[in-house]
Amino acid sequence: MSSTIEPTIPDFTLSGGLPVVVRRRPGPAILAARLVIRGGSAADPRGHLGAHQLLAGSMTRGCGDLDADALADLVEGAGAGLRAEAHEDALVLGLKCAADDAAELLPLLLSMVRRPMLAPDQVAIERQLNLQTLQRQNEDPYQLAHDQLLHQLYGDGPYGHDPLGVEGDLERTDPSLLSGLAADLGSQGAVLVLSGSLPDATEALLDRSLEGKPWITQLPTQAAADPMGGDPGAASSSFPVAGSPLLALEQDTEQLVLMLGCPTIPLGHPDGLALRLLQTHLGMGMSSRLFVVMREERGLAYDVGASLPARCGAAPFVLHLSTSADRAEEATACLLDEWQSLLEAPLDLAALDLARAKFIGQDAMGRQTCSQIAERMALVLSHGLPTDHVERCLERSTQLEGSDLLAAARRWLPRPRLSLVGPAAALQAASAAWTVHDLGSASVSL
Amino acid sequence: MPSSSRCCGPLLPGLEQPSRRVLANGAELVSLPMAEAPLVCLDFWCRAGSVFETAPESGMAHFLEHMVFKGSRSLAAGEFDRRIEALGGSSNAATGFDDVHYHVLIPPAAAPEALELLLDLVLEPRLDAEAFAMERQVVLEELAQSEDQPEEVAVQRLLAMACPGHAYGQPILGRREALLSHAPDAMEAFHRRLYGGGRCVLALAGGLVGTDLEERAAAGALASLAPLDEPAALPPLAVSGGEHRLELPRLEAARLLMAWDQPPARDLQGVMGADLATSLLAEGRRSRLVERLREQLQLVESIDLDLHAMECGSLALLEAVCDPEDLPAVRAAIRDVWQEVMAAPVQVAEWSRVKRLVTNSYRFGMEAPGNVAGLIGTGRLWARQEGLEAPLEAIERWDPERLRTKALASLDPDAAFVLEAVPA
Repeated sequence: MSSTIEPTIPDFTLSGGLPVVVRRRPGPAILAARLVIRGGSAADPRGHLGAHQLLAGSMTRGCGDLDADALADLVEGAGAGLRAEAHEDALVLGLKCAADDAAELLPLLLSMVRRPMLAPDQVAIERQLNLQTLQRQNEDPYQLAHDQLLHQLYGDGPYGHDPLGVEGDLERTDPSLLSGLAADLGSQGAVLVLSGSLPDATEALLDRSLEGKPWITQLPTQAAADPMGGDPGAASSSFPVAGSPLLALEQDTEQLVLMLGCPTIPLGHPDGLALRLLQTHLGMGMSSRLFVVMREERGLAYDVGASLPARCGAAPFVLHLSTSADRAEEATACLLDEWQSLLEAPLDLAALDLARAKFIGQDAMGRQTCSQIAERMALVLSHGLPTDHVERCLERSTQLEGSDLLAAARRWLPRPRLSLVGPAAALQAASAAWTVHDLGSASVSL
Repeated sequence: MPSSSRCCGPLLPGLEQPSRRVLANGAELVSLPMAEAPLVCLDFWCRAGSVFETAPESGMAHFLEHMVFKGSRSLAAGEFDRRIEALGGSSNAATGFDDVHYHVLIPPAAAPEALELLLDLVLEPRLDAEAFAMERQVVLEELAQSEDQPEEVAVQRLLAMACPGHAYGQPILGRREALLSHAPDAMEAFHRRLYGGGRCVLALAGGLVGTDLEERAAAGALASLAPLDEPAALPPLAVSGGEHRLELPRLEAARLLMAWDQPPARDLQGVMGADLATSLLAEGRRSRLVERLREQLQLVESIDLDLHAMECGSLALLEAVCDPEDLPAVRAAIRDVWQEVMAAPVQVAEWSRVKRLVTNSYRFGMEAPGNVAGLIGTGRLWARQEGLEAPLEAIERWDPERLRTKALASLDPDAAFVLEAVPA
């Protein structure tokens, strides 16, 4: 394995610095494009949580010389898909269209970023829709448990809120604030990935669409990636955990939703692969540990899993399940035991081999369509990682040992926090199970 | 580009036509190699959806799909998943009103082993009594989880009231009391009755070039299935008009739900017309309903109109999310929009937009082996003779005026079943 990281060489660079990476795939005569601009909901200004998502949505409501109707007519008239949304660490714009329409539609991505119209009436519509969506999300007990957990893990920190924002903040976020955010886009780096069939002379086409005003940006770097300002190479868990170790929200539901998690590390951290293998072991597929132990062997849940989203900062490592209220205590104890076992002993060889095989299998799953190819490449590059990051991880995954995973778990997963949503009796039963468990009592003494 | 000269021609660049064969017991094999696919999809389909349940069998089709993964005569519980995933693959299954399917995505080199495992699993489930009792708990958890989503409760109620006396009005997950009374022997009878040669199709799609999967599949366990008689004709679906108001706890915004019956899936021409009509009304910001209700009047957070193509008759389902006090205004606006559509010819630009949206949605779905296997699998399962490009050709046979007087006319709001769900 080579340990030197080669600099990423884009296929071409637009005037001002936007790197463009191309993955040709002519068969289906489709173009998928993904433009990722660093700085997402984690960079929402204080008092304006939700501003980046509002900016992204408003970008689709007019740009350049096209007002909202004209833009929609152009895109929908070509039967294409054009989206813009805020993720935690980036604004993400995506286009999918037939190859024949690519020359006309591809320049829109740059126009949306460089010349968003941000007409007050259109921003007002977008804001109202986001407010309504925020309200409706409260119908979903999973969403409630997740929002609560984010507060426990990050408090008022960059990852503490849903990208949609919070009600009061969104109400006072106006077009002038969005204009300021838009003017700053690209200052922390951006990258465009094109996959599929490209139009003729793509580089000239895109450069022309900048209309003589170069977009000053560059390939994102790994340095200074973390919105919390943490040192991605730090040797021990240094992230100050924000809220209560245990929070419970009463809802008149049949099931109890449990989420158990803690903030960890960025995608590109040296321990990132070890945590990914642990997440794969616990939650990926029907052979995963949680599925087998909690669903197959004990019938405690239908939906159970583990997540570790890619983040530039301290990504949340989260286990989740929902279970009938009358089995709350058993399910909570079982979930806590599974977390505890990560900290106590290395995976046995069979479990480690299975996790490696699934991790490698996932790679092919993510290469089926032009959109998937563009999405994955853009993700890696937007984290300041090299184009062959995935290949490197696949190779390294065969060399990591159980002891490496155990060491990473002890560094990054020592004190999870528990978020509960459900009926009162189930909350009490789950809280009781938490209190008597090593993980729960450990956190009380913090 | 050489790929565009293949037999699906300019309509579906890069794709060949599927090839098919029928085994002596009536089981069918259909396959489509895809040049750039990194995976193979193995997709076993059976005409054993919830529509084939008797009343006491409520939920059996879906429960059986769960039990299949609990092991077969030669595979222990969990062994299938472990072996498939150790090969770098993944598997899943889904039960619908009409059919059930079990699918595996797997790298080509491991596909022969995965094929044997899949057929072994599906064709001879073990239905062990202890596993049965355990899995019933899982199904009950699945039911509880869906009942905690008020929107799902509202949709289920809509179907029950819009399709009275029809299986499409019954929950696929089953009624709780029926689930509690199911037993392994009744499930075995259900499996024996429905999982037979003439009711099953195996679809293969993706990186098949250089594999002998088709030969293996034809010679393997699929051929040993007992042939089965054709079932009685499916009960036709007829949505009865009407309306209902439902108060739901934990609902934050009101829902207006509407249901219409539409041509059955076997009527491809009719289904594509319904697809065009629903897209004209509610696909994209410039569609009639979205533009009027969300963008201009700002009455709704969202308004969707989806077509569900099914064998007894398709369903068009509308859902609008709004403030409870705006429900009357939303209903009036939907009626206004429909009357305007019916009052004047569809203009060229709108017609072209709608055709492109429907065409591309179909074309874009052809990239992933899983989608392609599903498409060719269900096509053979329900004995449709058309090629892959047939939906696109059917679109071309529609014209704006016929769309208006036929497909759009069938979405008359006064003919729909209407359900209003409001916060309790």
